[in-house]
This record gives sequence, C-alpha cells and structure tokens, in this order.
Amino acid sequence: MKNNQTLITPVAITAYSALSASGLGSEALYQSLAENHSELAPLSLFNVPFPAYVGEIKQPLLSICEELADYNCRNAQVALTALNDEQGGVRAAVETAKEKYGAHRIGVIIGTSTSGLYETEDAYGVLLDTGKMPDDFHFVTEHAYQATGRFVQLELGLTGVCFAISTACSSGAKAIAAGQRLINSGLCDAVLVGGVDTLCRLTLRGFRSLELVANQPCTPMDKNRQGISIGEAAGLMLLEKPHTDNAGKMKVLSVGESSDAHHMSTPHPEGEGAALAMRNALQLAGLQAESIDYLNLHATATKINDRMESRAVFSVFADAVPCSGTKGITGHTLGAAGALETIIALLALKHQFIPGTQGLQELDEECQCQVVKAPLSKQNMQIAMSNSFGFGGNNASVIVGL
Amino acid sequence: MMKQLFIKSYAICCPDAELLAPFGLLGSDIDKSLIPAAMRRRTSMTTRMAVTAAKLACTQANIDSQHLASVFASLGGEIQVTDALCRLLPDENELLSPTQFHNSVHNTTAGYWAILNKCQEASTAIAAADDTFAMGLIEVWSQLQQQGSGERLLVCYDEYWPQYLAPPIGLAAFACAFVLSTDAEQAIGSISLPQVSEQAEQSFPLEWLMLTESAPAAAVIPLLMALQQETQETVPLNIKTPIWSSCVSAREFEHGK
Repeated sequence: MKNNQTLITPVAITAYSALSASGLGSEALYQSLAENHSELAPLSLFNVPFPAYVGEIKQPLLSICEELADYNCRNAQVALTALNDEQGGVRAAVETAKEKYGAHRIGVIIGTSTSGLYETEDAYGVLLDTGKMPDDFHFVTEHAYQATGRFVQLELGLTGVCFAISTACSSGAKAIAAGQRLINSGLCDAVLVGGVDTLCRLTLRGFRSLELVANQPCTPMDKNRQGISIGEAAGLMLLEKPHTDNAGKMKVLSVGESSDAHHMSTPHPEGEGAALAMRNALQLAGLQAESIDYLNLHATATKINDRMESRAVFSVFADAVPCSGTKGITGHTLGAAGALETIIALLALKHQFIPGTQGLQELDEECQCQVVKAPLSKQNMQIAMSNSFGFGGNNASVIVGL
Repeated sequence: MMKQLFIKSYAICCPDAELLAPFGLLGSDIDKSLIPAAMRRRTSMTTRMAVTAAKLACTQANIDSQHLASVFASLGGEIQVTDALCRLLPDENELLSPTQFHNSVHNTTAGYWAILNKCQEASTAIAAADDTFAMGLIEVWSQLQQQGSGERLLVCYDEYWPQYLAPPIGLAAFACAFVLSTDAEQAIGSISLPQVSEQAEQSFPLEWLMLTESAPAAAVIPLLMALQQETQETVPLNIKTPIWSSCVSAREFEHGK
C-alpha cells in the first residue's frame, strides 16, 4: 500500500478479553504484566522428546454446546471461554451490537495458525493404528482454518461476513486490520476480531526442527537468548464504527502490513519488511514516529528475530520509543500473538505503564532501541503500537489509541 | 461505496484439463518455467498451481507484480505438506523437516509469491470453508474501498487431498487467479459486491456442484463462464446455503480486450 495517501478512520474497541497462561480476562493478564511474572512452565498437555517451557492455559475451559458438537476442539473451547469472560464483556457487547445493527451487519474475523490441529494429531494416531480416522473427527469444522471463527459466529447467532486469516504469527494482527477495513468500507458495522491458537505437537516439534525452541523460559532481547517458548491464547475484541456512544472507548487507529519477500522462515536481516509495516501503520494513521508512547515488540527471543527487529525499530524510531517484549510472560502465542499483544498495548494505555521484558538479564549490545526491562509507570500515554511478524515474511503493526 | 470492481484478467490452472470441458473453459497445467528450479523443488503442488494461475493472470493484465498486493484464498492450503507431517507425529522420535514445517503454514503460497516477485506489498491468506472465494472477494473489496483506488491479485486454489480427511474434498485440484481493479480501463468485466441471495443450490448445474464439492475453489466457475460468454448475470459464488452472489457484467468492456 505504498502509494496509499488516504488516512484510515479509527474504529472503537467496545469490548475485549484475553485468555492465556496468565488466566482468564485482561485484568489477569495485567497482573502478570504489572508483576513482570513469567507464566511459562514445563509443557504438560502432551509429550515432546525435549525440554519445553510453554505458556499453557491451565484455566478450565468451557464446553461446546451439543448443537455445535462438530466444532468441539481445544481451539474452539479457548475461544468460547474468552468470549464468555464476563469482566471482558465481549459476548454482552456483541448482543448489544446485534440489537443495534442486526446480526447480518456483524462480521467475525479470527486469526489462527493451526486451528484444531491438536485434535487432528490424535486422529492421525488412530488412522495409523487402524487405517481409519475416528468417527468423531470432523476436518472442516475442527481442523480447517475458519473452524473457530465459524464456531464463534454460530454460537453468537451472527450471519455476516466470516473468515479466518492464517498468516502464521501475524494472523491475529491481520484479523484486526481486516475488521477495521470491513467497518470503514461500510461492509460491516461491527466486527468481532482476534486470534486464537492452541498448543500442538506440530508447532513444538516444527520449531524445534528449526532449532528455534529454547530449553529454558525465553529471554527476549537478551545477549544470551536461546529461542522461543511457545504459548497458547485467545485475544478477542469487538470493533465498532465510531459513534458518540463509543467515543470514550479505546480505538484501533491503523494496521500497517508488508511482506519481506526474503525467505520463508528467516526474516530480512535488516528488518526491511518489519520497518515497512511500522511505517505503513504510522502513515495510515497520519502519525509521526514521535506519537508512539509504547511499542510492544514481536521479540520472540530467537537470535535473528530480535536482532532484525531492533534494527527495524531503530530505523523508524531511533531510540526514542520505550519498547518491551512480553513473550517471557505469555510465551509466543503464534496466531493469537497479534491480538493478545494488541490487548497488552491497550492495557499499557489503560493503566498508563510500560510493561517489562520478562527474562531479559543483559541487553544484547547490538540492540540499539530503548528496551524496558522492568515495568514502569508513565504519564500521558495516548498511543501504542504492537508488532507481529510471521513465516512467509508476513508483517503487521497495529496502532491503538486512548 | 464502490458500485463494482473491474476484472482486468483471470487465469485457471487445472492439471486435469478434462474437468473444465463441461464448462467450456480452458486452463493451463502447472507451468514449471514460471517457477525457478530451486523454488520448484521446495514447493508443493498447491503452491505451484496457485503461482501458475497468478503469473498468467498478471501477464494477461500486463501488471507489475512487484507492486501488487495480494489475497490468497484456499479452504485447506498446504494440506499435503500438513498431512505428511501429521503422519510422523504419533512417533515421538520422528524428526520433522524444517523446510516442510515452514511450508505447512496457510500463507506458504503468499510467502513464495512475494519472494518470487520481490514484492513487499501486503499479502494475506484467508479461509472460509465453502465460502472461501466469496470471502476472498469481500476482503479484496474492502481493501480497495479503503484505499480508494488500485489493483489486487486474488488467487483461490485447492489441491488433491487424502480421502480420509473430508471426502470428497480434494478429489480434484483447481486454481484460479484474478487481477481486480477500481479502474475500468482495459477491463474484461465488472463484478458487484457479494451479497447473500435467495438462490438455492437445487437450481445449480450438477457438474458444477460435483466439481466444487471436490475442489472448493471451483466455486469461481459460474463467474468465469459469464466472462467467457460475455454475458451479464447474477452468479453464485458458493454452493451451500446461504448462497453469496454477485452481478457480473462482461459485455460493456468488450472494447477493453
């Protein structure tokens, strides 16, 4: 969108909720952030043949109703539990929006990288033993990428636009982008957006095969960082067209997107694509770099991501913006990360603080940007950015504002 | 609100050409010459099909693919790669191939397309089961509406699937790519915003229903037939209720060819 000079209109975030290793609700997430407390622990959901610290959801999950049993999988249960979080009030906000706009005017765009793959893995065990998939295996309604989004749409009785975005670790951020566009283009009045991803063997063993999984809890931006700790989460928000009713709510100002055009799993070494996403976000919102009060980094704690990201951030902001990476608290929640970490940016604005970088001991001297180690209060924060970069060189930067 | 999007070009890649005969459409086989050898060795059939269709559509539209943002729409994406990895997972000691792992993501084709064209524009990968093509059009529509003017590449594709997953999905493989624009110049047709319609699947031609049940991306065929036959009509964009449909108009742009 290089030639795009048009500004994008902000949309209101009328409700949001998160479910992660920190527990249910954005306030539980805030507690972990405020205390800079790591929620990473040894994997217990299934076995992998190597040590793995993960951000696993230990919270009991809600059950899928009988009528939607074909959608039953951990990913849908995680989505339902976050949706029904009363403190976040996403479900209640959707009900209000339904009365206001009609069920057909409310979209559902959910980002995910692996959808219901965890259950598919179990089904393959049965397939290899017996030559047949188990009777309760439903590929399209569990494993396929749109399954969780469609489940949420049916659960809420919505009938509008509904699709999944699956661009690996930028999925959740790009779902926010699609939601904002659907509202601004007049195709929807409200869109439930977010990211939902759950732990599974393929991602743990796949990242291990790339030699990117840390043996210890991850240490983003640290000189001695060893790789990622994978996590699972749901981050949901209801976006609505701006109106006097929601003028006091926080807003999505813009989402900048770009491609690296470099390599499938290794980011551009200078962070060209990452910098382009941040610049596109600033341009779409009509903001200068100085306007950003806090930047939540992608900061996966791999050698190469953190090096390229710090270069990209420095090229856009120099060392002027306080940044932190929060994956030492929640783990890298993959397709949910873009949504979960946008919620972290909202919490930074709501509580007027800069989250810390849990796990960081000694800052990598190559990192020139202003990385914040321990949480600190900051006044007059108005605008925050969250970065997400995925396989395929797929980048997105979300800007939110008070 | 935009009234229509203009279709600059389309191209089909369908390895089994006979599948297209009932519809009077022509498709290309995977064109190996369009993909460099090193990339060809690493990519799946689905990516090679989608890239073939996308390259042909860009060439026909005479558009610079380096500066073209894109939307890739597929029900299952890299299903063969994912299937091969899933077969290894029950044995805890099996090592996965790192290349196959990063090739299993849904945006694999989008990533290779960006690398192939040195394109740093935004690219997305979406899925919506039977509605995947309709939702791909809606995503393109909202991108261009937001931007005010410009072009997009829309590619929809599904490859052969193992038949224990979701039969009959995957019995056929099909890819189609469009260059869509806010500008009428050189367009071969126009398309209106997809809407939920009163059409019922019982009224649809059996050949199309059967092919689309096997290759969900074949949902585009009524649109392609309208363009081919230079008609103006309302075409369905999926095969299961609720039916999304758009008005297609090919005629008024004949001179643009």
